[in-house]
Amino acid sequence: MSVFAIHPFATPSDAQALRGEVRAFLAEHLPDSAPARRTNCWAVLDPDFSRKLGEAGFIGMLWPRRYGGHERDPLERYIVLEELLAAGAPVGSHWIADRQTGPLLLRYGTEAQRRKYLPGMARGELFACIGLSEPGAGSDLANIRTSAMRVDGGWRLNGQKVWTTNAHDAAVMLTLVRTEAGSERREGLSQFLVDLDLPGVEVRPIIDLAGHHEFNEVFFDDAEVPDGALVGVEGEGWTQATAELALERSGPERYLSSHVLLASLIDAAQPEPDAVLAGVIGRLTAELWTLRQMSMSVAAKLASGQDPMVEAAVVKDLGNNYEQALPIAIQAALGCEAQLADGSALADMLAMLLQSSPSFSLRGGTREIMRGIIARGLGLR
Amino acid sequence: MSEQQELLVQAAENIFEAIGEADLAEAWSAIEDAGFGILLVDEASGGFGGDWADFHAVMREAGKRALPLPLGEMVLATWCAGRAGLETPSGMASIAVEVDGEMSGGQFSGVLRGIPWGRHSDSVVTVASGQAWVLPTEGARMDARTNPAGEPRDDLHFAKTAAHSAATDVDLRSCAALMRVAQIAGAADGALEMSVEHVNSRKQFGRVLAKFQAVQQNLAVLATEAAAVNCAGQAAALARDRDPGGDGAAFEIAAAKLRANIAVGTVTSIAHQVHGAIGFTEEYPLHRLTRRMMGWRSEFGNDRYWAEKLGVRVARLGGTGLWHEITQRSDLGQPA
Repeated sequence: MSVFAIHPFATPSDAQALRGEVRAFLAEHLPDSAPARRTNCWAVLDPDFSRKLGEAGFIGMLWPRRYGGHERDPLERYIVLEELLAAGAPVGSHWIADRQTGPLLLRYGTEAQRRKYLPGMARGELFACIGLSEPGAGSDLANIRTSAMRVDGGWRLNGQKVWTTNAHDAAVMLTLVRTEAGSERREGLSQFLVDLDLPGVEVRPIIDLAGHHEFNEVFFDDAEVPDGALVGVEGEGWTQATAELALERSGPERYLSSHVLLASLIDAAQPEPDAVLAGVIGRLTAELWTLRQMSMSVAAKLASGQDPMVEAAVVKDLGNNYEQALPIAIQAALGCEAQLADGSALADMLAMLLQSSPSFSLRGGTREIMRGIIARGLGLR
Repeated sequence: MSEQQELLVQAAENIFEAIGEADLAEAWSAIEDAGFGILLVDEASGGFGGDWADFHAVMREAGKRALPLPLGEMVLATWCAGRAGLETPSGMASIAVEVDGEMSGGQFSGVLRGIPWGRHSDSVVTVASGQAWVLPTEGARMDARTNPAGEPRDDLHFAKTAAHSAATDVDLRSCAALMRVAQIAGAADGALEMSVEHVNSRKQFGRVLAKFQAVQQNLAVLATEAAAVNCAGQAAALARDRDPGGDGAAFEIAAAKLRANIAVGTVTSIAHQVHGAIGFTEEYPLHRLTRRMMGWRSEFGNDRYWAEKLGVRVARLGGTGLWHEITQRSDLGQPA
């Protein structure tokens, strides 16, 4: 019995050349950020960096050229992403548009929607956010209450989304709301593209425990969107929104977003680490290497057109565990002269990740939800 | 899995199934008759011509069934000796990586420790200082020892034993570690299967255990750890076949064995936890898997051994160097 069917990752023949291109790009354009801003780097916003990445052709890599894309291979895209993350590049601004919103529009969007949004997304200028959670609908997403009522020429939205990452940086939200009054659970839900500068839409910041502004509350107060804002089929929102969650869950950001901390520890331990540090580095390397094999396997499966829902949940859960254990293991193994306030790059990264890592197993589906999906894969529920 | 590998695994399954509770002599002759000993030997040299992915697949199956025989040791002994141009005598051949002694003038004096099924073996293959040795066990003094699963792990003392040797580049410990990873991968999947069957049939509080969320969440963790070991083992075996670093996949096997060792604690504890008291009995077969995994965790490199080895290697590479090494090895390790 197994819940993880391993799929070979056929590395593109130009892999080394492509890595060389990304590394050259980073050598030129990676901002000289404070160390803490290089951790959890797929949540770090830097619109300027995103624009440069777009110019270099590293956003929308799989999308058709007519929408500003580059028609590359999914595994080439995987290589570009892992290079960016391993370097701690600030890829937060465009990440959601590139990973989720763009592909979803290619699958379900109208021609007009694709023309309107995709080219700007691929240029790294138009950013997106995803409006799923609500005050009464967290892990129990089907409890969504925000509504869209038909009005002449469009829809009127009322309600509230919460924990909306990057809504303050995004031009558009892809949201899931109830379009059938009185419907329950997964029925009667639809997806809309809501331009966040519309009247009746208000974005309010929620500051996290580390003092950062990543997520927001978004209020809809009689906000009217045109007919053309409906994505896909009315009433099919649940299926559409959950169809490609494997894309969200198994990517390299699940194990590489804190890689700079490990790299920094290794540099600090050079050239001959003591036995304790060598042991910690070895153990973390073994976890990292294994996770990469697993994430690449899921990427290859996705590239071949399959939907490895359970495998993706496995990668997310394991990746979250690894990224949460990483700062704790390093904190425990450093010499006792090392303090979190000592001003070193390593200490700054460590302090940041100790605080931000508890969120890793909350966002994008909690640990309990992931394990529930795996248990279903085992036939237990 | 290639078609040839599927047939191979199917054949292995059938033979392991047929062996069942047979005694050692009978079971071993079934293994010998099936020709598994020459799995890794080239076809040109009269072998099966299998690769390391095949070896991994067969050993995974052996691990899943808790096969109480030194099948993998025999495969490695035969391959290692053959690669150095040596022959293993007929009968059971095992391997040793803990060598304490002197080899000179075609003779060995000293002790080989922890030899799987040493007491039953006709010969032992070992590698020391770049030389492969085939040592006949006849006349050696034995200290009989067993691992936690009750499998023989014997010390053999040799006094000026005449033996054949030849130069080799084989890292026998690394190859043997890959074997144990494959066995742990199979045993972990076996323990998962047994656990799922158990929770789907045992009822408490009026419903089957499978319906309790706490049980579901624990089994998800077990499944995840089993997946990690299987993925690591397969990737290491493929790396061993392609050998992009020219070092016998030393990096990948170190990482895989360490990851497998890490998984053993979680896998065995959850499997026992969901089984309750019945899983703790001699009669119930779970311990055949869990006690073996406990032993395999130490064999051919425990956590400390591989963590330090890997950690020292990685520290020399530096932070950026680690990433370049990992990516280059997998980019170049692809089939042409």
